[in-house]
Amino acid sequence: MKNEIAIKVEHLTKDYGKGRGIFDLTFDVHKGEVFGFVGTNGSGKTTTIRHIMGFLKPDSGDVQVQGFDAWKDAPHIKSFVGYVPGEIAFPDLSTGTIFLKNQAELLGIKNMDYANSLIDKLQLDTSANLKRMSKGMKQKTAIVAGFMADKDILILDEPTTGLDPLMRETFLDIILQEKSKGKTIFMSSQMFDELEITCDRVALILDGKIIDIADVASLQDPTHRIYKIEFTNQNDYEKFKKLKFKIVRDQQKYFQVTIKIANSSINHLFNVLKNYQLKFISEVKQNLEKHFKDILTSQRHVKIVTSEELDKTRKQRKIERKTLKKQQKLQKEDKNDK
Amino acid sequence: MINKALFKQSCKANWIKWLTVTIATCTMLAIVIIVLGNLAINDIRDSLKEVFAQADQEATLKEDIIDSYDLYLSAVDGSNQIVIGVDEMFDEYDKAKEDYQSATGAPPTGEALSGIQSQVAAGVIEQFGDLLSSSGMTQEELQASIIALLGIYDFSPDMAKNGAISTITAMLPTQIEQLAQQQKLDEGATQEEAELAGQQAKEIAETAIADYLAQSKTENFVYSQNLFTANAATYVNDMMYDQVYEMQIEQGVSEKDANINAVAVKVISNTAISTYQIWQQTYSEDGVLTDEEKTAAKNEATKSISDQIPDKVAVALEELGNMDVYGLIIGSIFYRIAGLLLPMVFVIMTANGLLAGQVDSGSMAYVLSTPTKRRTVSVTQMTYLLFSLFAMFALLTAVSVISVWIVGGNNFAINFSEILLFNLGAFLTMFAIAGFCFMCSAIFNRAKYSLSIGGGLTIFSLVCTILGLFGSSVVPSAMRITQMNFFNYLSIITFFDTTDILSGSLAWLWKFGILLVIGIVTIIIGIFRFDKKDLPL
Repeated sequence: MKNEIAIKVEHLTKDYGKGRGIFDLTFDVHKGEVFGFVGTNGSGKTTTIRHIMGFLKPDSGDVQVQGFDAWKDAPHIKSFVGYVPGEIAFPDLSTGTIFLKNQAELLGIKNMDYANSLIDKLQLDTSANLKRMSKGMKQKTAIVAGFMADKDILILDEPTTGLDPLMRETFLDIILQEKSKGKTIFMSSQMFDELEITCDRVALILDGKIIDIADVASLQDPTHRIYKIEFTNQNDYEKFKKLKFKIVRDQQKYFQVTIKIANSSINHLFNVLKNYQLKFISEVKQNLEKHFKDILTSQRHVKIVTSEELDKTRKQRKIERKTLKKQQKLQKEDKNDK
Repeated sequence: MINKALFKQSCKANWIKWLTVTIATCTMLAIVIIVLGNLAINDIRDSLKEVFAQADQEATLKEDIIDSYDLYLSAVDGSNQIVIGVDEMFDEYDKAKEDYQSATGAPPTGEALSGIQSQVAAGVIEQFGDLLSSSGMTQEELQASIIALLGIYDFSPDMAKNGAISTITAMLPTQIEQLAQQQKLDEGATQEEAELAGQQAKEIAETAIADYLAQSKTENFVYSQNLFTANAATYVNDMMYDQVYEMQIEQGVSEKDANINAVAVKVISNTAISTYQIWQQTYSEDGVLTDEEKTAAKNEATKSISDQIPDKVAVALEELGNMDVYGLIIGSIFYRIAGLLLPMVFVIMTANGLLAGQVDSGSMAYVLSTPTKRRTVSVTQMTYLLFSLFAMFALLTAVSVISVWIVGGNNFAINFSEILLFNLGAFLTMFAIAGFCFMCSAIFNRAKYSLSIGGGLTIFSLVCTILGLFGSSVVPSAMRITQMNFFNYLSIITFFDTTDILSGSLAWLWKFGILLVIGIVTIIIGIFRFDKKDLPL
């Protein structure tokens, strides 16, 4: 049961030109698995989801959902797939109630019990005017619309945006509950922590390519701990390094080491440290965010440029250009003087 | 193929738009028809028409008058020629007899005399053959009567002369009658009309001949046409007066009014003849005109209003008189322009909102994340669009038919079948436009492109029709700029031609067919394209 494949993406490519799009994506989502999809804005998360939903036709490669081609059999696939779109825009209807009723009709649902239980859980007032709903309310309405048919596979495109922290908790509870029912969930997000809580596996996508697929359970290795230790002087630091602890990271500048140690050896470590002058010691939690950051930094060819950095470089370039022009002007004036 | 829930959703999303547009358009149409039906907007047109009809009538009347006047003078001339002919005949007879006497020394008698007589008679028959044959006598009878006349001349010359003149001139009216009758028949008149004209000609000729004979008996009589022009004018003027007066009385007009009308005609008659007389006096001393001069004089005398104003103005005025104001306002302005505007706005907005708008905003995701085929979505939306359009025009048709019924049914300038065809044409035009807008909505993922191409071209069509109106034949030439007709070639509304329907030609059939084909083809393209394209949902 666990190894049955619910969503299969093979060599999926959609090239929008200028480096945008998705390129040669390959991954599987197993039945009953919660699969996370993380990446910066514009990295290709939504494009991948649109392919799974059969809204876009692949340039090459293919997507299969429970063995059916996502593009050709799109209407059939929808009979076991629920979807929460990333962009929230509702049809031109007056209230949330009317919208959900209409949606139920389209889905062929007669019993609204499950939908009502979702509404209660999310504390949603469906009688509100669709156009005047806040972002969070719209998101909740979209979640109810996506979940109410109780489909086997759920595709969620950044489902927690706009939700307040409490609601996010509730939503994550719902996800876990669905997971316990054996549903396959494919969700994209920018929040590592919520993926960490819910997902079995998380894929990192950058510039349209999958960089890594992490197994969340194995990241959080329960048999080992990681500690960061900083010494007050160089002597102690050098001495400690000679001991046979596994050093994960070494920062000479600060007399700082990070070590990985089996749970059984913790007492040994503290006994050793009794004799050293420490500035501090802290446990480093190994999490998804760190894992991916490590991967990104270790892969030198991949350079993450944040928008702030981009702005900076633009400004720098502008300044450079200006100075260059000034220099040229000066040179010209010099020549003229001569 | 059609999803009920989606159809309901579209109804809910668009019913306010639909209702507003339908009510506004129906109200406009009802007002236009009822106001036009109750206003006498054709009064000016009718009076213009009357002016031209009267002018034409007057011209024909004047022509008849000049003809009668001319006929009088011709009859006088004819009589004079008969007198001259008779004189010549007897002169020749005398001369032949003298010749015989100088040759033989004795006046001719017996066989010699009868030889001379038959010779002269043959010459006379040759000269007056046509006229004499109208008496109904055979050649031999004629010969015998002339010989008898010459015999009388031998012992009483005056009696013979007078007898000959009165006999021959008495034949002239009959000949003139026959000629006039034949001419009328050649012109295409009925037998009755021809006979009437012949009789009138005969009367004129008889009067003219009597006048001539009376005057010729006066002392120092020297023939000239000028002597008779005054009498001819008086006679024709009086004849016109009598004719009109009698006709009016017959028609039950009061004596006073009949008199007024008859006098009016007499004045017209007098004017025409006076003009003609001026030409006579100017061109010839004796009052005789050549055929060419006659035609020119006649044209001058019979000029009507339309001849007196410049050609272009005359055509413009006449067209203004013939303009179909109802057809222009209801057909060309309401059904092709004003009445289409709001339905167009509805179709542009709705077609865009049914597909492209929902794809652009992303709300289409909710429909397509259910097991609904794209084909079902596009067919359902197309069905809604056509259904709403059909319902709108069904109501519009009902309103137009009721309005026409209120203002007089088939007695109204535009009858039921015409108004039904107007509605059908407007619906088919909107059908083609809806198909085009739907296609744009299905092809584009961005509402702005769908709106600017679908809506832009639709409004462009409407504007071209407005501009093209100033170049089309429904606008009188005074307001028309022929070059503006070019705009009609840029507009789809040109296939809905209300003038075809009003003129009773069947050209609207194939034009409506083209509109239908445009609508169907664009819809099919739209449906197939929507199946295959990428949707950013």
